[in-house]
Amino acid sequence: MSTGEMHRSERLRILNYDTPAVSDWETGLHPMDDLLRGERLPHIWCQGCGLGTALTSFISSLKWLEKNRGWDLDKVAVVSGIGCTGRIAGYVRLDSFHTTHGRAIPFATGLKIANPDLKVIVISGDGDIAGIGGNHLIHAARRNLSITVVCVNNFNYGMTGGQVGPTTPHEARAVTAQYGNYEFPFNLPYLATASGASFVARWTVLHARRLTWTLRNALTHSGFSFVEIIAPCSTAYARWNPEGKGLDPENLRRRGLEVMKHYQKVGKIDHDVHPKDAHVKVNNQGEILEIIEGEFLDETRPDFKEAINQRADLAEKYWLSEKGTLDKRKVLTSRKKRVPRKEIQLGGFGGQGIMSAGKIIGMAAAVFNNLQACFTQSYGPEARGGAAGSQVVIASSPIHHPHLTQPTSMIIMSQGAYDKYVADLAPGGVLLIDDELVTLPADHRKDIKTFGISATKIAEQAGNNRAANTAMLGFWTAVEGIVDKDAMQESIAESVPPKTIKLNLDVFEAGHKIGLTIDK
Amino acid sequence: MSTKKGRLTGEHFMLGDHACAEGAVLAGCRFFAGYPITPATEIAERMSVRLPQVDGNYVQMEDELASMNAILGASWAGVKSMTATSGPGFSLMMENLGLGIMLETPCVVVNVQRGGPSTGLPTLVGQQDMMQARWGSHGDYEVIALSPSSPQELFDLTIRAFNLSEKYRTPVLVMTDAEVGHMTEKVVIPPLEEVEIINRPEVQKGDIEPDLFRIYRNSPQNSPGYISPMVKAGEGYRIHVTGLTHDERGYPAMNAEANEWNVSRLMEKIRANRKDIIELETDKLRNAEVVVISYGISARTSLWPIEQARKEGIRVGYLRLITVWPFPEDTISKLAKKVNAFVVPEINMGQITREVERSTGGDARVFGVHKPGGDILNPRDVLAAIRKAAAAVQKA
Ligand code: SF4
Repeated sequence: MSTGEMHRSERLRILNYDTPAVSDWETGLHPMDDLLRGERLPHIWCQGCGLGTALTSFISSLKWLEKNRGWDLDKVAVVSGIGCTGRIAGYVRLDSFHTTHGRAIPFATGLKIANPDLKVIVISGDGDIAGIGGNHLIHAARRNLSITVVCVNNFNYGMTGGQVGPTTPHEARAVTAQYGNYEFPFNLPYLATASGASFVARWTVLHARRLTWTLRNALTHSGFSFVEIIAPCSTAYARWNPEGKGLDPENLRRRGLEVMKHYQKVGKIDHDVHPKDAHVKVNNQGEILEIIEGEFLDETRPDFKEAINQRADLAEKYWLSEKGTLDKRKVLTSRKKRVPRKEIQLGGFGGQGIMSAGKIIGMAAAVFNNLQACFTQSYGPEARGGAAGSQVVIASSPIHHPHLTQPTSMIIMSQGAYDKYVADLAPGGVLLIDDELVTLPADHRKDIKTFGISATKIAEQAGNNRAANTAMLGFWTAVEGIVDKDAMQESIAESVPPKTIKLNLDVFEAGHKIGLTIDK
Repeated sequence: MSTKKGRLTGEHFMLGDHACAEGAVLAGCRFFAGYPITPATEIAERMSVRLPQVDGNYVQMEDELASMNAILGASWAGVKSMTATSGPGFSLMMENLGLGIMLETPCVVVNVQRGGPSTGLPTLVGQQDMMQARWGSHGDYEVIALSPSSPQELFDLTIRAFNLSEKYRTPVLVMTDAEVGHMTEKVVIPPLEEVEIINRPEVQKGDIEPDLFRIYRNSPQNSPGYISPMVKAGEGYRIHVTGLTHDERGYPAMNAEANEWNVSRLMEKIRANRKDIIELETDKLRNAEVVVISYGISARTSLWPIEQARKEGIRVGYLRLITVWPFPEDTISKLAKKVNAFVVPEINMGQITREVERSTGGDARVFGVHKPGGDILNPRDVLAAIRKAAAAVQKA
């Protein structure tokens, strides 16, 4: 029984959970305290870092949604990856998941799809989301799943000391680009838009109030929303680049402030610009000359979950059909006679139903005659077009070795298959061929029994040459007698398309009739 | 919706991969994230058809990194989840298998092994990922891995994998192979009432004051192997979990003591429960002079040579590792004191053979029957090894 169905006290008894006596949640350290894990403060971020502002905007937007839109913040989950921004998950007093580098978005995807009632927000850095996790970003945007991805872009890998990254401006400096960045950065709003996001925005942390508004819009958006937040990295990026250069290396707060001042100078709000043109423009020293900011895109399109739900009827239909077949199944008496290990090789060319013929034999034996049966087929390039082969082992006792060791019975429907398999047949074994498709050579084996019928012609006369394999099965059933006739008929009826059941059974019967006349 | 919906109780002639999917559905799996790869694709195909029929979800992810993460996310939303792959995808999953273990997340990962290394033999069998299953992600941990030898057992062990993962709050690996996955045999799906289904220990909204809840609590009696209850997202506990070394609240703790506490708990919960987790099939171990130890398809193809050798008068015992990890070293070490030699057939160059050697402590000789991927073992090679083991022992 699931603990979920039990009464609370019973559940706790079974869980044997020892509740600590004292809470260590710390409160009263900050006005936003109920949404911050006070016990984890102070945070690890540097003085002058933009992440504090980004976090404040984020939790302000949540508080607003709680107050004005009735949001239950118990239903909010924050997921982040690795890096300075990734630590946000550890500071918010919300269900929060600090995952691996780059993987926050797929984790959030699972969380959101499995419980659509959750509001799922990914907050992580540019390296995490656009670098190592770039593939996840574009695919999540493409699915238009209703999650919000907030990417704090500080133009470099801050936590590891300021290496160049996928957003570092061309010619800007970094620890691993001391001669100037010779790569070109992503334009993240454009990337998200092109990938299929339906809400796209960018702000610098200087515009904290506008950012808060935008975050509210992003969080209430149906579909994939993407918000880029450009934030100063006072320790690493600012050290190497014009915005913070020449400043006292010890005075990080000052450096962060200088970068903010620079944002004020170069920031340009333009909601109407196409994300393609929402650039971060730099000069040939990598110095930022202009940052376009705004809410660039807000579209309504069916989100991922809606798209899935639209298919519920079709799923139901498939289910009823499969269950219907199972419910209609007749129970036949098990086969009384002991069957020693029998190995059957089927061969022909692609499209003749060599696989399904083998499967029909196996199913007749296993399900309707209560024998053991093991069906295997050739996979790979060998199985595409050209020669097709399938194998069945049947026995009364468990089948240890699943492969054929030496087939005793063969159904061959093409010259190629004849050439390929006939040498394998055990002496005294039975070879059944479609005699219009296989011409026996002059040196055909004398130590085996060979019988043929015009299976393809029989099927053609019945109205569909694709049923030639069932003619061979009828023939095989009568000649070999390994599996009962009624078992084969039931197996065919379950295996072929419903509209062709009658035709296939007729063709089976025709093959079977000829088989009975064979003098073994 | 009827609770009976989605059950295919009855007898089927079913592909191994499909049997795996059906086992998952019966066990209560309602989320599958995957990426197409031979020979595991048919599991994804079947799940994509079946899950929407039972109010579950199938998502085809962009790669196996994403697949592994998505099932962790779904599990933290309270839904049983699974992915399936083969060698190359299994390699990609190693990163976040580690995360799953670290976060103590129930979920099931199926590896339909093919020949490797690298792209190797996409359509052909191998058992070459057995050590990767044990050690593939970085750091110290214990893992649970099961090895089925038929479609029926793939069905049964997929259910067991879910049960173990829920019970021990950890990812469980089903290490099957291309042969079993691509084989069609009789599979009996029992009525759900006859199947044991285990759900995770879980607290719910209102059970405990959120500020007094600890996501990784020690046992009240400090008994080893205690599994602390989980809580899913959205229940008001405002939990935090991290792949960083953490304390009982899930908060990062960056020091050696914390790592010791954290790693020990991951290892202890498996080690202390070995008896429950390890499942072996044995035959004629009493009086055996030679014991064949194998698993999965190689154990099955060893049965004929064992019968033959017995007919020749060799006293052959049989030990099949249904659970491969944790390894039954105690059983083998005890056995080594009584028998003269072990024969270990496997489709790799000796991965589990080395584990057997380690477990014997030199008390018995070990003969491997090895070949890299591409085909199942030739029963005659296994028979020859049994004869050789018996002869070597007589000489000694
Ligand atoms: S390294 Fe940069 S981004 Fe990281 S905390 Fe310091 S200032 Fe912020």
